[in-house]
Amino acid sequence: MKRLVGVTLGILTAIGGFVDIGDLVTNALVGSRFGMRLAWVVVVGVIGICLYAEMAGRVVALSGRPVFDLIRERLGRRTGLVTLIASFLVTLLTLIAEIGGVALALELASGVQYLLWVPLAAIAVWLVIWRVKFSRLEQVFGLLGLLLIGFAVALWQLGPDWGDLMHQATTPRPTGNESWLTYAYYAIALFGAAMTPYEVFFFSSGGVEEKWNRRDLVTARSNVFIGFPLGGLLSLAIAGCAAVVYLPAGIEVGTLGQVTLPTAMALGQLGLAVVLVGVFAATFGAALETALSCGYTIAQYRGWQWGKLVRPREASRFHLVIIICLVLAILTLLTAVDPVKVTEYSVVFAAMALPLTYLPILIIANDPDYMGRHTNGPVLNFFALIYLGLLLLASIAAIPLMIVTKAGQ
Amino acid sequence: MMAGRVLHAQLHLLDRQLADQRDGRLLGKVDDVELDLDAEVPVVSALIAGGVRIPASQVIEIDTAIQIRRGDLDLDRQDDWVEQHVIDHIPGAGDATE
Repeated sequence: MKRLVGVTLGILTAIGGFVDIGDLVTNALVGSRFGMRLAWVVVVGVIGICLYAEMAGRVVALSGRPVFDLIRERLGRRTGLVTLIASFLVTLLTLIAEIGGVALALELASGVQYLLWVPLAAIAVWLVIWRVKFSRLEQVFGLLGLLLIGFAVALWQLGPDWGDLMHQATTPRPTGNESWLTYAYYAIALFGAAMTPYEVFFFSSGGVEEKWNRRDLVTARSNVFIGFPLGGLLSLAIAGCAAVVYLPAGIEVGTLGQVTLPTAMALGQLGLAVVLVGVFAATFGAALETALSCGYTIAQYRGWQWGKLVRPREASRFHLVIIICLVLAILTLLTAVDPVKVTEYSVVFAAMALPLTYLPILIIANDPDYMGRHTNGPVLNFFALIYLGLLLLASIAAIPLMIVTKAGQ
Repeated sequence: MMAGRVLHAQLHLLDRQLADQRDGRLLGKVDDVELDLDAEVPVVSALIAGGVRIPASQVIEIDTAIQIRRGDLDLDRQDDWVEQHVIDHIPGAGDATE
């Protein structure tokens, strides 16, 4: 148990990246349309985020400097500003979607319309950020989010033809009416979700909040190598449930209710209730992750005092940024915009931010001034460079593919 | 300042985090570097952060962040303004989190 509590930062970070509200729906949608034929992208994404989160964690443990601090330092003020704007907008759009997601989960549980839950959800997120200790926040929402393992149990209970699922997973190409373009669009969406920039912002800033130093290198690594694969597993289980229930019926998943329905079919009301708590915790956790990351990115770019390790009045501007972002989230959602759609647009900004977020991490992880003798080895650099190429490719292809496929339709 | 170590202004000074050497408080980023060209070899005479001039004599150590002796430098003006006008009006602003 103590082990598990020590890796909740990694788990919470990964939940925000792999199973936040946009991903819950995207994973199920992909499962319902492509079966497991895109599962390989999740595996590729898990490896990529593990590589770079490990570097970011190592940099924090050895130098105390979080990722956005390094972005400005290595890219300079101007390019740093472009990265800031792009990554801040992804993070803000995701925050808006997550607040909507918390409200949607509450609607599913209570039957009360989600718009009424929106202000309450945003205030609850703010109260947790304002009052609750960082380690407690990450433990509560990280561990509760693990209840999404209910999807894996449900998949097992559904008794699928495992040979068929494996066959789908090993035939990476579109089927039926699907074209290569929509297949590529969802491949990029899944890859972008796995490596979404706020994961490294949150993870590295969380390391500072937890006061990591060189003795915590092992902690940093176990957070990475347990947290992110778990996130990937949850995302595969969700896709698997949808592949079993919806793909043969030719139903395309579009709502949160459809995402959770297979767990009710396999495990009954109790199973559904457990998974709904998981959905609530995962979206709430992702809301905390993105709200804090909005503050982290701007404060670290400008060099302001930030973080929950000091009293709120000592990091006034950091807390003000978070309050403004939450107010913006409430106002946007009250226009009745579909929270799930909001995350689709964030793909555009994520595409621009991706290479510029990860390049400075790679540079600093090779700088002995920061890392002493813990700089990257040649094998790690080789794979990190391959991933940088993949990120660049994804960032170039994302917007044209989004336009051509009308966001995957 | 520090003998025996070559510093590259662009790499080691510009855009680097400033911190108070006493309590580690974050005090801004180095926006610019002031050079004294009248000296025999040009030397860095001050760092500029948020419009405030930090004389080289107050720079204690150049590490992964630049540690400075804050003295009476007014590097917290904006944060204090937000604190007085917004944050302090919210209950619990001065409490440590639990």
